[in-house]
Amino acid sequence: MKKTSIQVSAALLLGFALIGGACGGRDDSSSSESTETTASDSTEAAFIDPAADCTDYKGTQGVTGDTIKIGTVRPESGSYAIYDNVTKGLEAYFKSANAAGGLPAADGKKYQVELIKKNDEYDPAKTPALVKQLVEEDGVFALVGNIGTETNKSVRDYLNENCVPNIALATGSTQWGDANAYPWYISGLPSYATEANAWISYLEEVNPTAKIALLYQDDDFGQSYKAAIEKAIEGTKITLVGEEGFNPLAGSTTEASVAKLSQSGADTFIVGVGGTACPLTLSFVPTTWTPMTMISVTCASKTALALAGGKDQGVYMAQPTLDPADPADQTNPKVVEFATQGAAAGLDEAQIQGGIASVGWGFGSMFAMGLENATTVDRAAVMNALYSLQDTTFGLLRDEVTVNTDGAKDPWAVEGFRIVQRENGAWVEKAPVTNEEGKSNSFAGQ
Amino acid sequence: MSATVTTGASSRRSPSDWALKVAPWVLLFVILAIVPFQFPSFRVEQICFWMTLAIAACGLNLLTGYNGQISVGHGALFGIGAYTTGILITEFGVPLFGATVASAVVCFAAGILIGLPALRIKGLYLALVTLAVATLFPLFLEQFSAITGGSGGLQITSPQLYRGEMRERPIRLESPVAGLENDQWKYFVFLGITVVIFILSRNLIKSRVGRSLVAVRDNEVAAESSGIPVSQVKIVTFGLSAAIAGIGGSLFALDQGQLYPSSFTIVLSIYILVAVVVGGAASIIGPAIGAVFYGLFSDVIVQQMPDRIQPARAVILGVLLILLMLLAPGGIVGGFRTLQAKWSARRSSAHNSGPSVTGPSATGPEATA
Repeated sequence: MKKTSIQVSAALLLGFALIGGACGGRDDSSSSESTETTASDSTEAAFIDPAADCTDYKGTQGVTGDTIKIGTVRPESGSYAIYDNVTKGLEAYFKSANAAGGLPAADGKKYQVELIKKNDEYDPAKTPALVKQLVEEDGVFALVGNIGTETNKSVRDYLNENCVPNIALATGSTQWGDANAYPWYISGLPSYATEANAWISYLEEVNPTAKIALLYQDDDFGQSYKAAIEKAIEGTKITLVGEEGFNPLAGSTTEASVAKLSQSGADTFIVGVGGTACPLTLSFVPTTWTPMTMISVTCASKTALALAGGKDQGVYMAQPTLDPADPADQTNPKVVEFATQGAAAGLDEAQIQGGIASVGWGFGSMFAMGLENATTVDRAAVMNALYSLQDTTFGLLRDEVTVNTDGAKDPWAVEGFRIVQRENGAWVEKAPVTNEEGKSNSFAGQ
Repeated sequence: MSATVTTGASSRRSPSDWALKVAPWVLLFVILAIVPFQFPSFRVEQICFWMTLAIAACGLNLLTGYNGQISVGHGALFGIGAYTTGILITEFGVPLFGATVASAVVCFAAGILIGLPALRIKGLYLALVTLAVATLFPLFLEQFSAITGGSGGLQITSPQLYRGEMRERPIRLESPVAGLENDQWKYFVFLGITVVIFILSRNLIKSRVGRSLVAVRDNEVAAESSGIPVSQVKIVTFGLSAAIAGIGGSLFALDQGQLYPSSFTIVLSIYILVAVVVGGAASIIGPAIGAVFYGLFSDVIVQQMPDRIQPARAVILGVLLILLMLLAPGGIVGGFRTLQAKWSARRSSAHNSGPSVTGPSATGPEATA
């Protein structure tokens, strides 16, 4: 009896599977209006050749008439919801572009952007299902401005295998430097290693025997800083005299770590943590310890520094972008454009000055640049355009920061920083922009 | 122990009765066979996830529904199964389903370990012990991040050829059948395993061992005096239940290809319990129905709700649960049985012939499938 029931069920199951198979496969056209396209560029070997690299390539999925569908995944709720402001900036960019007639493309048309947002709560366990839904059900052309290192990592194989562009990742993890293996990813931020290198270069100039106390977030983000610092101080007289890891998920603060580091004899304090933990760390620094403090660029927004309890005065950072809250930058045409058009697209004053929405605005601008430079409106063509940029700029990058890319050799778009010090809510330049073109990958430590 | 409801009609079934009994099953099989061809691959993968949840709920049902031991820690056992599979495949190159078998064994041992206190404590106190296990599990994963990958996740990989070189790539179940895509193949493999596990559980419950499980649940003293080794039964049931949950976890690992501690929080344990209760504790098919109900709720219905309401999904689920428990305390299967009993009672009274349904309330947990 037992055996027969199993056998019957198995037979039934197999039978129905075969019937189902015979009924024809899945309706491929249901999720998208895609057409099979072949490689477009022929004059010079493009970085991505979909004919060789992709099976079942859908180069124009998400493009219908003069509309282009874009997806993005971000934490709208949960403890990282502060980053939702990046997406608000991205959305404002597209709204503003749509109102102005759309994003121009090589085919002479202007495309209206339809942005579909999903909330993964910064949880990499939730990201894959949402991204797959965006690609397979919503049928997006590309993902733009996805937030988070681990979240982006969780869909890296899927997106690269399916040849879906993931443009302007809101993370500077050194992992995104491997464009030869993962050509469909391009970061919208500078590499954390390049940033760390900028700190050390400046230290060598002003304090060649610096003793560093390092507080780093104990995940991919903070470890990128740690490894790059260790590599950059090799062969110099700068030493690392104390280091403390901080697990942002453990539910504790950095107070004990800061107290410990303040006793290490260091004259330089590097804060390699993000989120609200970073400004809180500044507030924990005892008045008896007055090191030269370097903070992560992810912490340098007005919104974040407002939480430092006034201890943000005098801190240093490596700055690649204009700061809409800095009076010295407010007359820059890029900032003026962002402030007026962003306001028209629904951003409020706090979001405009906050320094987070402006990053998302830049990501929208990066995608627009890819679409405009692409030879055709096609996924591979857009990626190839983004991986062959020459002396250009986008978003709110500082005017001196040059953008050059080459998929095979130089996958990082943003590689220039200036060193600034915080004074009364504004930034004072201490060292001008240095562009480390093509060197970002070499700064990444192990 | 409650007796199976028998009516005079069951011994000499009319063809229409037989059709009524078989038709739902045929319909179910047809639906199950068509599903993977009707939806995009991410939906099929979601349904595969529901199956893994159903398997875990089936395991919990043996323990809670039939043996009367409450566990709020099956999410941790599910997680142990998943991580065992992931680590065995990535670190030791164990074949995919070999890792599933190993996970079942590991979870059996873990279940016995967790079940040991169950010999002394029961009811709410046992629930608290298992609750502690469920709460500590994600922290445990963070603590041993050298093996588990911590919050950065565990990528389950094997060496594969990609873009011209051998790289560690995510595992995949390659479809050997020409007409089936990988996700569809995975669906049928998972469905096969799920069906086999449910049938084996049904057979177990209908066997002598199954009757002793129920006897221990209903009255330990009576069971003891009837010669049932109560301690043995309780502890082996815990192990068996854990092993089944581990198989569910192992399949979850094969489905996802990567594991994060945030998947195995106390919330998962509660959802497995919800699947059992919603479907109908102490009915074989109940946990599967409950798992599908939960899957539909969290992966389909919640996604359709406006963004603003989505964070309140737990509240909405809670309200739905309260309503369900008020309307059908025996879960979906229990409610169905009540309706069936009422319907056949009305029919028999209308015909004024044949015995009316007797025995315990059809909504209560019964030892029948």
